[in-house]
Amino acid sequence: MIWHYLIRRLFLLSFVFFALTCFAFSLGHLFPGDALVNFSGIQQPDDELLPILVQQYQLDNGYLQQYIAFLQRILQGDWGLSLASQQPVLHELMQVFPATLELVAYALLISFVLGVPLGLLAAIKVNHWSGRAISTIALLGYSLPIFWWALLMIMLFSIGLGWFPTSGRISVLYEIPVVTGFMLPDILLSGQTYWQAAMQDAIRHLWLPAFVLATYPTTVMIRFTRDAMLNVWQQSYIKTARAKGLRRSQVLYRHALRNAMLPVLRQLGLQFSTLVTLAMISELIFSWPGIGLWLLDSISQRNYPAIQGGLLVISSLVILVNILMDILHTLLNPLARKQANG
Amino acid sequence: MAKFQWLQHKTEHGPLSQLWASFRQQHSAVIGLILFGFFGLIALFGPLLTPYDPYLQNPDVLLLPPSWDDMGDVRYLLGTDDLGRDQFSRLIKGASYTFGIALITALGALLLGLLLGVLAGMSKGFRASVFNHILDLALTIPSLLLAIIIVAILGPGLMNTIWAIMLALLPQFVHGIRNTILQQLEQDYVVAYRLDGANNWQILRHVIFPNTWEQLTVLFSMALSTAILDIAALGFLGLGAQAPAAEWGLMVADALDLIYLSPWSIALPGLLIFIAVLSVNLVSDGLRTAVRKRQES
Amino acid sequence: MLLLDIRNLTLELETSQGLIRAVDRVSLSLREGEIRGLVGESGSGKSLIAKAIVGVLNQRWRIKADRFHWCGVDLLQLPYDQQRKIIGRDIAMIYQEPSKCLDPTALIAEQLHESIPNSQLKGSWWNRARQKRKKAIALLHKVGIKEHQSVLESYPYQLSEGVCQKVMIAMAIAKNPKLLIADEPTTALEASTQAQLFRLISSLNQLKSMSVLLISNELDSIARYTHRLSVLYCGQLVESGETAKLLAQPYHPYTDALIKSVPEFQPDLAPKSQLYALPGSIPTLQHLPVGCRLGPRCPNARRECVHTPSLERKQHHYFSCHFPLQYKEPR
Repeated sequence: MIWHYLIRRLFLLSFVFFALTCFAFSLGHLFPGDALVNFSGIQQPDDELLPILVQQYQLDNGYLQQYIAFLQRILQGDWGLSLASQQPVLHELMQVFPATLELVAYALLISFVLGVPLGLLAAIKVNHWSGRAISTIALLGYSLPIFWWALLMIMLFSIGLGWFPTSGRISVLYEIPVVTGFMLPDILLSGQTYWQAAMQDAIRHLWLPAFVLATYPTTVMIRFTRDAMLNVWQQSYIKTARAKGLRRSQVLYRHALRNAMLPVLRQLGLQFSTLVTLAMISELIFSWPGIGLWLLDSISQRNYPAIQGGLLVISSLVILVNILMDILHTLLNPLARKQANG
Repeated sequence: MAKFQWLQHKTEHGPLSQLWASFRQQHSAVIGLILFGFFGLIALFGPLLTPYDPYLQNPDVLLLPPSWDDMGDVRYLLGTDDLGRDQFSRLIKGASYTFGIALITALGALLLGLLLGVLAGMSKGFRASVFNHILDLALTIPSLLLAIIIVAILGPGLMNTIWAIMLALLPQFVHGIRNTILQQLEQDYVVAYRLDGANNWQILRHVIFPNTWEQLTVLFSMALSTAILDIAALGFLGLGAQAPAAEWGLMVADALDLIYLSPWSIALPGLLIFIAVLSVNLVSDGLRTAVRKRQES
Repeated sequence: MLLLDIRNLTLELETSQGLIRAVDRVSLSLREGEIRGLVGESGSGKSLIAKAIVGVLNQRWRIKADRFHWCGVDLLQLPYDQQRKIIGRDIAMIYQEPSKCLDPTALIAEQLHESIPNSQLKGSWWNRARQKRKKAIALLHKVGIKEHQSVLESYPYQLSEGVCQKVMIAMAIAKNPKLLIADEPTTALEASTQAQLFRLISSLNQLKSMSVLLISNELDSIARYTHRLSVLYCGQLVESGETAKLLAQPYHPYTDALIKSVPEFQPDLAPKSQLYALPGSIPTLQHLPVGCRLGPRCPNARRECVHTPSLERKQHHYFSCHFPLQYKEPR
């Protein structure tokens, strides 16, 4: 039964990827300038190269052949050259992608660790001052424009107090060889004698961007957890559980929490796309060498092959996370399983 | 007399007045509404209120701090920027950019979304399924990223930003409206009305719209806060309104180099964005609570 | 001894239009081992009374009573925790929509296990799980579910409403309550299952001498199973007494109308004659009449009816009417 559902999800996934590649492909034609340059990233192909490229990209033929050629190139890993650096786009992406993932992962971790308990507290103490205070803070955080918030934090903690550095992932003093692309594991793996100092430095660099980026998902988490909990708390089965003579904490832990967390899980998937956008902006402000900074640079440089590749990677990430969350939600929720089967 | 009172009693139970009654009870929502109206008025009549031309450069007064500072000048209430333009006038002007244009953008997206959402909600079978999948795809691409892509295609500029944000907001509107309509179509009163011989248009006009406008307002208010944030963010990224426009996000970006010299020129426009978004969110939250209360009672 | 003794229970709801008195001075007493029926139209406050007894009314309600005794202890005087403890130990309740009263994400086994109090288990903690499972199976057998294996490993949505209600009853009787409150337990069920459940409830009553408060809006469906009946109208108690006597000789016009509206209670009803019904319909909570709330619809109403009648007693038969129907009309 569950296989049936998984296969359907897989079909959906392939359809979405199909549509996504179609979109990315059409960008090559939609962007201003020559389609050949937009696809290949070679600025002025000489007379020898031109016919080969036209042949390779099937530009003489109809859109269908062009699309098939495009798909083949994508699958083979030939994503064109960056117009700015004339390096392969895929190679550049691979270098910046882990930094973004690392930042987003820490922000999500913070939002989960802080958001869920605070949301629960706000729901339980709904008429108490502490519950109101949490809701108010969540609303305030929810309304913050992230670039302004990031600048305020920099003004306060970096310029004013001097606690944290303003930009980058790690001080240039430390040379960390890239193994996984994730800074903290890389430092552990580096085996340098100064790894402890490097670790401290990297964490000091991480603090501010992760905190700023975590603000929005944390407030969203608080709001959703609170609403879901308040909703679940009114259901009949909670009353039944209380009537059984269970303690409040038992009801909360055994019945309410599981039912309340299910919609939150689902929202997490939907909010992930917003999180990625916000990550792009915070990368710009903190000069965090991630995919967002790279993509924004590419946009201002009119670096079309890079925009195309960046879009493809970011959207695929968002879609994958979405579908994974959906599957997780279905696996954990008997009611959704019923709908998935029936 | 008795009859009159009875009528009065009756009007108090209409959905609109009930909604207003429970909205009014939430202080935060009322404050949000007042702020919202305040921003709306400034966006409309801002040009009449500015003490200086927001684009007038005065080289004699560069980077004045706000007037309460020791170095400040009371003629320039909130100080001046690095070109000697009056901050206060620019901030007022910015309301019509950031807030006013966001309002128009969200409205446009609402109307377009209504059209597409109704089409999606009323269609069935294969067409609906294809539509849903495309919608799912569009929903997964972050609205700001979508806007950035569209701007990348069309080129930077305020007009292009408006189109981009409108298009980027569209999926959530279509999704929300379609879901509400599908939910309504399942209701027994819709079936009853259909059995009475009503066609699709009549059902839409007489049953579904009167029952969904609350949902629409909530959707609209949520989209409006996204629109304000997106316009400001695009302005900040240099993709939206172009200098010298007094758009709040752009003003923050302009002041970025002056972060050591005049932190207030970053703080003030950002604060206004924050308050504008907050007011919309307060109204939105209040509306949602009021709608839920009305539906429960 | 009286198990439950409630005198002049008043429940008021705070709304924007002021206080609404949804239940107006209702008295209810229950002896050990009896099945008491509580009958009234929807909105007459019967579910509210049940909720007030188990203490799950939300904060917007104000509860007042001259006496609210459970086994001789005044519950309203007790602090909240103790109140919950006593109620949790002695009173169990089942509801209208059983499938909504079961946690949708938990297996039936889990939910049954946690309703078995630890005090019933013997021995050390490591064989508690096995004991609980055994008990759970025994409970399911008691309520007439034979396929215990498959039911225990199901989620609520996989079971029919009837089975869900049986599971609810199994959970309710797990702690051997002194009183079972059944709030319209059969409205969501089809007729054959209804009869099954009522039989189950009355056999539990006989075997375990568990008192039952049976709440329904249909007089005819519960009359067979109850020892005594209380009839409510718009939050006022209109009549209460032994079922047989009350059906044979109602004193209140509303009870009379209720009985006359059921063909089964009138064997000599002429063919094709109209069933008796009171004129008008029940008022909304915002527009309750003063005095006797039946007033505007009552065929015998007179000027005195603007004052609320007090509860009068004739042997074990209580009624609240200024002008009771003194005798049955001659046949």
